[in-house]
Amino acid sequence: MTTNSLAPIANLLQQHRVAICDEWLNDIMRIWEHSHAGLVDKEEVSRQANDFLKELAVFFNSHSGEAPAEISTNSPFGKIACELSIERAKKGFKPADTAQYIITLKNVLTRHFLRTYSETPVDLALYLRVMNDMLDRISLLTFEMYVETRERIIAQQSLSLSELSTPIILLWNNVLLLPLVGVIDTVRARQFTERLLEAITRYEANVTIIDVTGVPVFDTSVARHFMKVIDAAQLLGSRIVMTGISPEGAQTLTKLGINFSNIISRATLRSGLAEALLLVGRRIELIGGVRP
Amino acid sequence: MDRVCIQVTDEANIAEASRQARQMAKMIGFATVRIHYIATAASELAANLFMHANGGLFEVCNLINRPGIELIATDNGPGIADIEKALQEGYSTAGGLGCGLPGVKRLMDEMDIDSRVGQGTVVKARAWL
Repeated sequence: MTTNSLAPIANLLQQHRVAICDEWLNDIMRIWEHSHAGLVDKEEVSRQANDFLKELAVFFNSHSGEAPAEISTNSPFGKIACELSIERAKKGFKPADTAQYIITLKNVLTRHFLRTYSETPVDLALYLRVMNDMLDRISLLTFEMYVETRERIIAQQSLSLSELSTPIILLWNNVLLLPLVGVIDTVRARQFTERLLEAITRYEANVTIIDVTGVPVFDTSVARHFMKVIDAAQLLGSRIVMTGISPEGAQTLTKLGINFSNIISRATLRSGLAEALLLVGRRIELIGGVRP
Repeated sequence: MDRVCIQVTDEANIAEASRQARQMAKMIGFATVRIHYIATAASELAANLFMHANGGLFEVCNLINRPGIELIATDNGPGIADIEKALQEGYSTAGGLGCGLPGVKRLMDEMDIDSRVGQGTVVKARAWL
């Protein structure tokens, strides 16, 4: 049997697990009671703490102090770190709270080590160093996990936002409406161009109303995107009626020197709709006998 | 706050630059139309950083001595070989409409360009209250 220099840590963790766990929970609950009152399920925290200590014991049992330990996101510690940071984040815990959790364990273990190995300072130094190193790395792992989860959420949100924001509506036979809301960047421009051209073909639209009421900035790059979509739409046989340019927007476009000479533009969607219907030979009329 | 810096590295930063300029202009007390001009000029300058120089630094400054706003776009890009030409209507090297820089000049009150080929460009544009 090979002698494992770190086995005593594992032994200590196994023998004193209940005591360590209790001390750790006491310390952490005292801190969290103030900042996260009512959010912590004591049983769950206790279960997690137990699992964590068990995993640490297994690790020190199978690992000697020489080579630095590999801790990847796939290891059991990765799973624990994941649970710690992600599950807690959902409850409104900050990454600092998770770090606090690990630091508290570090303090408790340091106390136990000092008590148990005070006779053998050389061993004590090694154990403390290894334990510190290990917990620091787990701490980093929880932080990494937290950021990763956040980033995934942000990516998902921006994806669903871009899907939400470009509906194409069939207003009347052969009349389409594209209401644009928000910043127009290259990705979105490409997206609505593709969808609009497809819809024009499918519905044989003669007129397309593009409403830009919700577009905050109309600069030359936005204008360029519009000119492209307008040209392509006209090739497919659809006139473009642009609506919703604000008075300020109109002045800005003039200053920039952009002119949309080949389209019909109306200040409001209402007059744009009337114009579009006229282009397909329709008109909205009062029904006889009903008072307005 | 008197100064906001935005590192422009991707397209989303352009909107952020415009938003910050709009906010600052509103805070200084510009009229609605001028706020619109300033926000658009900011968007234009930030888009130039992204399109021509592979990114750069965009700053919005609140001018104290004479009340106004200054937009500064700094990059380490290829530089502008012929500034006269860049300010000409309809001239573009990157497939744009060619009215970005001349447009900014008209939207703002003052603009100066300092550019060295191969080293980079600094565009400063000011609008007075």
